[in-house]
Amino acid sequence: MYVSPIREPLITGKKTYKQITDEISAPIEGKAGKAWYAGITITLSALFLGLAMMGWTIWQGIGTWGLNKTIGWGWGITNFVWWVGIGHAGTFISAILLLFRQKWRTSINRSAEAMTLFAVMCAGLFPLIHMGRPLLGFFVFPYPNTRGLWVNFNSPLLWDVFAISTYFSVSLLFWYVGLIPDIGTIRDKVKSKFKKAIYGFLSFGWTGSARHWSRHETMSLILAGLAAPLVLSVHSIVSSDFATSVIPGWHTTIFPPYFVSGAIFSGFAMVLTLLIITRKVLNLESYITVGHVESMNKIIIATGSIVGIAYITELFIAWYSGVEYEQYAFLNRATGPYWWAYAIMMTCNVISPQLLWFKKLRRNLAFTFVLSIFINIGMWFERFVIIVTSLHRDYLPSSWSMYEPTIVEVGIFIGTLGLFFTCFLLFIRVFPVIAIAEVKTVMKNSGEKLANRDKNE
Amino acid sequence: MKRYISAYFEDEENLLRATKELRAKDVSIQDVLTPFPVHGLDTALGYKRSNLPTVAFICGAIGLAIAFGFQTWAFTVDYPLFIGGKPHFSIPSFIPITFELTVLFAAFGMAIAFFIRSKLGPGANNIIHDERSTNDRFVIIVDLDEAGNQDAIVKSILEKEEALNIQVKEIES
Amino acid sequence: MDNNYTFTRKTQISLFVIGGLGILLLLLGYLLEAPNSQRFWTNFLINNLFFLFIALFGGVFQALHKIAYSGWHTALQRIPEALASFLPIAAILMFLLYFGMHDIYHWSHEGLYDPILEGKAAYLNVPFFFIRMAVYFAIWIWLTRLLRKNSLQQDLSTDIKYYKKGKLLAALFMVFFAVSSSTMSWDWLMSIDAHWYSTLYGWFVFIGLFVSGIATIILFISFLKWKGYLEFINKEHIHDMGKYLFAFSIFWMYLWFSQYLLIWYSHIPEETAYFAPRLNDHTVLFFTILVLNFVLPFLGLMTRNSKRNLKWLSLMAVVVLIGQWLNLYLLVIPGTIGKSATIGFTEIGFVCLYLGGFLFVVFSSLAKAPLLSKNDPLLEESFHYET
Repeated sequence: MYVSPIREPLITGKKTYKQITDEISAPIEGKAGKAWYAGITITLSALFLGLAMMGWTIWQGIGTWGLNKTIGWGWGITNFVWWVGIGHAGTFISAILLLFRQKWRTSINRSAEAMTLFAVMCAGLFPLIHMGRPLLGFFVFPYPNTRGLWVNFNSPLLWDVFAISTYFSVSLLFWYVGLIPDIGTIRDKVKSKFKKAIYGFLSFGWTGSARHWSRHETMSLILAGLAAPLVLSVHSIVSSDFATSVIPGWHTTIFPPYFVSGAIFSGFAMVLTLLIITRKVLNLESYITVGHVESMNKIIIATGSIVGIAYITELFIAWYSGVEYEQYAFLNRATGPYWWAYAIMMTCNVISPQLLWFKKLRRNLAFTFVLSIFINIGMWFERFVIIVTSLHRDYLPSSWSMYEPTIVEVGIFIGTLGLFFTCFLLFIRVFPVIAIAEVKTVMKNSGEKLANRDKNE
Repeated sequence: MKRYISAYFEDEENLLRATKELRAKDVSIQDVLTPFPVHGLDTALGYKRSNLPTVAFICGAIGLAIAFGFQTWAFTVDYPLFIGGKPHFSIPSFIPITFELTVLFAAFGMAIAFFIRSKLGPGANNIIHDERSTNDRFVIIVDLDEAGNQDAIVKSILEKEEALNIQVKEIES
Repeated sequence: MDNNYTFTRKTQISLFVIGGLGILLLLLGYLLEAPNSQRFWTNFLINNLFFLFIALFGGVFQALHKIAYSGWHTALQRIPEALASFLPIAAILMFLLYFGMHDIYHWSHEGLYDPILEGKAAYLNVPFFFIRMAVYFAIWIWLTRLLRKNSLQQDLSTDIKYYKKGKLLAALFMVFFAVSSSTMSWDWLMSIDAHWYSTLYGWFVFIGLFVSGIATIILFISFLKWKGYLEFINKEHIHDMGKYLFAFSIFWMYLWFSQYLLIWYSHIPEETAYFAPRLNDHTVLFFTILVLNFVLPFLGLMTRNSKRNLKWLSLMAVVVLIGQWLNLYLLVIPGTIGKSATIGFTEIGFVCLYLGGFLFVVFSSLAKAPLLSKNDPLLEESFHYET
């Protein structure tokens, strides 16, 4: 396969196959450093704080949250949507970029998919906690029961249950199927008998037989084909939680594609935040290059601009509609008591990514890191703005109200951040962060050209 | 008595050429073990395209039928109840769940078929010929006839392509 | 390798025949069907937009692939370049709409005493409508011409600067198009049903434009290959075009359903007023569109072989193009002609006339330059293209 010389190499440093294996599996074989222990101490403390607050919520009831009759959804659902959104980059990278043959995905798909799984886990916690009695959470599934009832198939909240659980299961499957060959590599590499047995079990007996590879490739393509519309469907269905209602600011038809775009936007921001650190700490700079960061930044600017267009479309159509409630909802968003949240959202999501039009900034790691955090914050505020500002001015002015989170809600949110980063820290110690086999397939064509590697060429 | 020869290459180009030559000489290749999917190897080995897409399609169709059928049955036959002014048989409402279950069934059906067909799974204990075949070696295992007529030609092809560690093995069967 | 397409006399004559047939049918329509200025202008708008969208997609296809660093499309990039050459003609024709405003756009009438339309008057008024139209066309034509010029200059020089300039132009085009594609669909299509509004509308029209453009490019590849050109386009290129058609048909359905579901679910009379006449007065057409644009391409292009078979793929492209035309038809007519709209001589005549003219312009443009942009630094990748 020919690759034009004007393209930037995807892997720098003229590697051999063995080097690739060794360098990527180094964190699994080696001992964890001080930084890792420091990191996991912080994330575990956050997680325990969150667990305590969750326990308190369940013990005391939802009254410990800042919700009231007018604003029945606050931080909980904001966090839910935010986390689900972050969980969109991984499957987008491995499914849609695979179908579009973007080879740079091979260095980042594994860790991005792991983030997807962890983010969806964090997201799933919120509806569960908000039920008040999480032990009865299984009520959301349609199972034959003594009450003779079925769940409400007309409810977008139920669609959510199916969408999120399907998304989690299929993402997990896709991730694990891709991971099997690499687990095989690790199994054959580790020395300790105990580790060998564990990885041997997890590798499902993988040998690298050409017949298996052939089927594996077919399966990966079809899984990508299935996962691609799945990615679109999940956040579309999440958006319909709001958009099927008749609340001004929620009921707008652009929501499904606009939520998906925002999700990919925020997902890539989180991937950048984590990978810029990971590549440095794990010495993977020659696999996750500045070129990769630039490519991700391009996706950020594309999806960020789509989100910007959607914001402006909503504003314009609210005016154009001539419906006074619509017009008020958007005016209130921008100039009402929550104007600051709106301003943060606009600045972080629409204005700041425009700086990425400059190539210098796209390739600047420090700038990208800071920007990615801005976007994470901005996307959180987007959901907050949509949810709270649309609710707090009810149709009946006597029910107008304000919402403030309590320490319990903040604690639970911090707890999910703790869960997410703890999982990620464990992941980098246990599984290869980069898809070893996939990187090897692109090495010859897209790696830095080797002086005397292929003796037959 | 079964006899076979095994060797490994350090570069996939050698493997590809050797495979093509061996197949041209009508030698049966038992297995090839590679650290990553080598482009064009499955055609060189003459493998047919997998039927997994068909499996996915059938499983997806089953998922679709189950999801749509169940929702319809539950809301029109078993427990018809007016909710939010929607008709009992409200197709648009049923589509999201139908779609999700179609994907779920297709993905898992295909993956299970893959594991069964490839005899892989938790606890599967396949022989590992060379610990570095999942790292940087491209191992080839070629069947030989009992009389040993093919030995020379196979060996010469392997040697020409710079194969290393060429070993003839015999198994009583 | 014969790299230049010759626009043969025979092809020219067949196009004249198609165009002539169109005029004949229009005359028949004038004589047999009640002559009606509203019907005339409605059809004029539908067809002008349909072919304008395809021409615009010429720009979109080039620009998208350029900014995505894609290599495989370079071997067929002369086709979208030629498609865009129809833009100036579509522009001139579009301005003729001035004479048909009253028949199509209810809001352009004077003295309506309609408070909702009064609220929109700052946007929906005749002068501003044409100013916007002029801006869209000026920038689209300017940028697609620059892209074409840059690409032709690249044929003469191996300097990398043309490649880089192409990327810059592509980015500019996409930025402007991203905004203008929404506003143009509000202006030209959504404002027909002047009271109604939907935030998704612009993106829905855009995806229709995308699908019909893909289908058209497939048909061009098919035609040129049949005539013995484009031997460097292999099964893999065809496969990718097939994947596009398959994927974007699904995406079209996704956006269609998103809009329909949310309006159906919320059941607000102001919004359902849009779907009610479409579903009740044109039931058959309503569902035919879904079959042609989604069901058939989805089932027909599911397997790998069907996407790699150019004849079958071309058939699917024709199906989708008919589906997209009907979709546009159904976007326009309930707000103009209404219930009584039928497809007769006038409709088919218009399509033939436009088709002949459009193809004549595009083929002339295609014949002016080699079919291969030989100095593109990514061209070599397009030749060695395999999965």
